[in-house]
This record gives sequence, structure tokens and C-alpha cells, in this order.
Amino acid sequence: MPHLKASFAKYQTNPNVAFLLVSIDEDTKRLQRYLNEMKFPFPVARLDAATAQQAMRFDNTPSSFYVDRDGIVRYQLTGGEPHGDSPNRVPWFIDQLLEQPRSR
Amino acid sequence: MTHWCVVTVSATVIAVSAALAQTPAREQLARGQLLWDQRLAKSATAALEAAAKDPATASEAHEALGRMYTFRGWQADNVYPGWHDEPSLREKALAELRAAVAADPTRASARDALRVAEGLAAAESVDPAPTRPEVRALDGKLQAASTVDEILGAVDARARAQADPAPYFTGAQMLIDRAAYAQAIAMAGRGAAASDRFIDENLSAYQLTGKWEGSFARGRATAADLVGWALFLQKEYARAGEKLEEAARLSQNQDPANQFHLGEWARTQNDARSARDHYLTALSLQGGPPPLRQRVLQALTSLMSNDPAAAGGFDAWLDAELSRRRDERRAGALTTMVNRALPKLTLTTIDGRPYDTSGLRGKVVLLNFFASW
Repeated sequence: MPHLKASFAKYQTNPNVAFLLVSIDEDTKRLQRYLNEMKFPFPVARLDAATAQQAMRFDNTPSSFYVDRDGIVRYQLTGGEPHGDSPNRVPWFIDQLLEQPRSR
Repeated sequence: MTHWCVVTVSATVIAVSAALAQTPAREQLARGQLLWDQRLAKSATAALEAAAKDPATASEAHEALGRMYTFRGWQADNVYPGWHDEPSLREKALAELRAAVAADPTRASARDALRVAEGLAAAESVDPAPTRPEVRALDGKLQAASTVDEILGAVDARARAQADPAPYFTGAQMLIDRAAYAQAIAMAGRGAAASDRFIDENLSAYQLTGKWEGSFARGRATAADLVGWALFLQKEYARAGEKLEEAARLSQNQDPANQFHLGEWARTQNDARSARDHYLTALSLQGGPPPLRQRVLQALTSLMSNDPAAAGGFDAWLDAELSRRRDERRAGALTTMVNRALPKLTLTTIDGRPYDTSGLRGKVVLLNFFASW
């Protein structure tokens, strides 16, 4: 999750980019403690785990979805990321979608 | 007809209660307690629930259930790889412990357990349960074992105390190090069976299907790699290749040790290209102990010493290859919602009010689903 914070700094002032975290935690106390610790600079919402998994077709956390400006999911990454270059990945996906022409 | 049906049903009920009566409640209680000590939740629950039905053992059985749910509700986080707390069991823990006290108000241990659970319910944060001292001692004994017989004995003792597959895999590696290959292969097989059972007994602790499926696959991958490596060291190359490749499929090429083993195997097949690929994959993955990375790097350096591909400098070639592999894995991780419209999600804020998503319209959105466990 720290890599999301690092990436957000780059887009903080960009009106065409939004970050939204969605917690599927059942334990609100623990979630609150985690948020206090992480101090995310972007909004955090909640959705129950079963609904979230069904709607977004994922079966593991964390799951990231990159949605383009037309509301279409263009990239999905599920599960832990053993790739070792997470901080560079996030801006790469976002920049791809910012450069993509809009259909409407 | 209806009448006959009723008769049949009562006959069945009598048969079931007769079967239960044959297994005395006290026996079920002892069995349930032992099973939970071994962390086999599903079987433990069945035995303890049976024992809770008999007034003679009700208090003890409710207490044991309550203690189990306390652990699983508040203290399970990462106690085993992939385990999480199950908040839905917290109310059950309190209810079982209250039932234990109600069944026998003089039972001090039940009152203590209830007090502890109430404390956890009120606590701001709860630490995961530490490894039981007797299990830690048995782990130490296994580490210290030196002969093959000592290793076999230490694995059995540790596995009896707790049913997770770790001692089998540790033991199999130790047997390989002592060239006891046949015993290592048998041990790895027992590890795979233990892993399957352990996960199956505790499915709900994994919370998400991807997590338990991943755990099943990791247990089997570890076993297949150990078997393959033992066969390799015995120079049984054909069977070794099969097992090592099976491990690679199960781990989705994400286990550095297995990739190293496949590299070594490919060299015995005079397939330098495949050896190079496996070594590179091993190095491009995070994790793996430093000595392993060192061995991979040595193997790769010697393999590439006369290769024109690395003529411009080994380090530059290696950097380029590793970054290409990461890019490929990035592409491979992309899956199922791709090219679909983002569905309408009824989100709430942290404090439960409706979350307004209209601000996201027309923007590039990074939506990340996470859990703090």
C-alpha cells in the first residue's frame, strides 16, 4: 500500500485522475487502526467482501482496477505482487490511460 | 405412505442416537480437544459439538469450543501462512463460553476463558496467538536432529503436536541434505497430504477462495519440488524433470528455489537456453534466501561466460533480462474485468454513510480493493 501513496503524489493535482481505496474488512476497529497508521491522502470507502468479489471478479486482495475515462476497466491486478517494481507500475498504468483517446 | 415415512424417519433417528451412544461423550470431548490442539478445526468442531450435547460433558465442550472460536476470531492472523481472524466467530466464542459457565457455574477455567474473550472484544487491538511452547520446543528438536532416524522421529513428534505441513517439508529438506533421498521423497509426500488436510480443515481462515486455492497449490508445489530435487540428486533425470515441472506449474513459476532446480536440471539435458531462462526467472523473483541467489548467480555467470548475448557486459545484460521478465509478469497478472464497464458499486464511507461516486466520472480511476488483515 505505501506504493499507492508514493504514486498518488504524482497525480494529486491532476483533475483527470482519482484514487479510491475500497476496504472489504469486516472488522471496523482494525480497519480504523490501519487507516490511522497509513494516513492515506486519498479517499477510502467500504464494501462487503462477498459483494465486492462478485461485482469485480476477484478472489484475492489486494486487487487493483485501472478504469479509463469512459468508465471501462482496462487493467486488473489481483493478489500480492512479487515483481519488485510496484512503485513504477502504478504510474505506468495511469499514464497509459491518460494518453488513450476518449471514445465519447 | 405418510405413516410409513414417519416410521422410517424415527427408525433413522434411533439408529443415529444409538451410534452416538456408542461413542461416549467423554471420548468425543477428548478427541475434539486433541484435534483443536493439532489445529484441525472442522473435525474438532464436530467432535466438540457432539460432546456439548451430553450434560455430563457440556460445560467442558462449550468451553473448548469457546476457546477455539476465541483463537479463530481474534488471534489467528498469519499464525499460519494465509490465515486471518474471523470476526464472525467472535459472538460465537462469547456465546459458547457463556453456555459453558451456564452449564457449570463452578467451572473456574470457563469463567476465566469468558473473561479473556470479553477483554479481547473490548480491546483496541489483539496480537495473534504465539506458537505454543511445546510446539516451539519440538521445532527446535527437529532443527537440532542430525541422524536420519532422529529427523524421522522429530518430524513425527512435531506433526503429532500440530498438523500443519511445515515439519514434513523441513524434514524432507534435511533428509536431502543427508543424501537420504528415498526417505526425503516419502516425507515430502506426507507433507503434501498434511498440507491438503490442514487447509481443508481450516478453509474459512483463508477468507478468500484465491487465498486457500493458492495455499493448496503452494503446499503441493513445495512437495513436488522436494521430490524432484531428491530425484535429481539421485540422477534420475527423467522423473526429476517431471516433478520439477509439476512444481513450476503449481507455483506458477514463482518459486525461486524451484526455478534454480529447473535450471540445474536443464543443464543436465544440455539445454543451455532453458537453464538460462530458469536462472533468470529465479533472480527476477523476490524472496529466496541469499545463499540461493548466490548459487543462481554463479551458475548463470558460468553458463554465460562464452555467450555472445552477454558480450557487452554480463551486468548490463542481466539488468535488461530481469526488467523484461518483470514486464512480462506484469502483463500476465492482468485478468478478468478487463474491457468491461465498471459496474455500479454501492459503497459506504468508513462510518457507514453512502459514498458518492459521481466525482469519479470522466476520470482515470485507480480502484484498489484491500483488507487490513
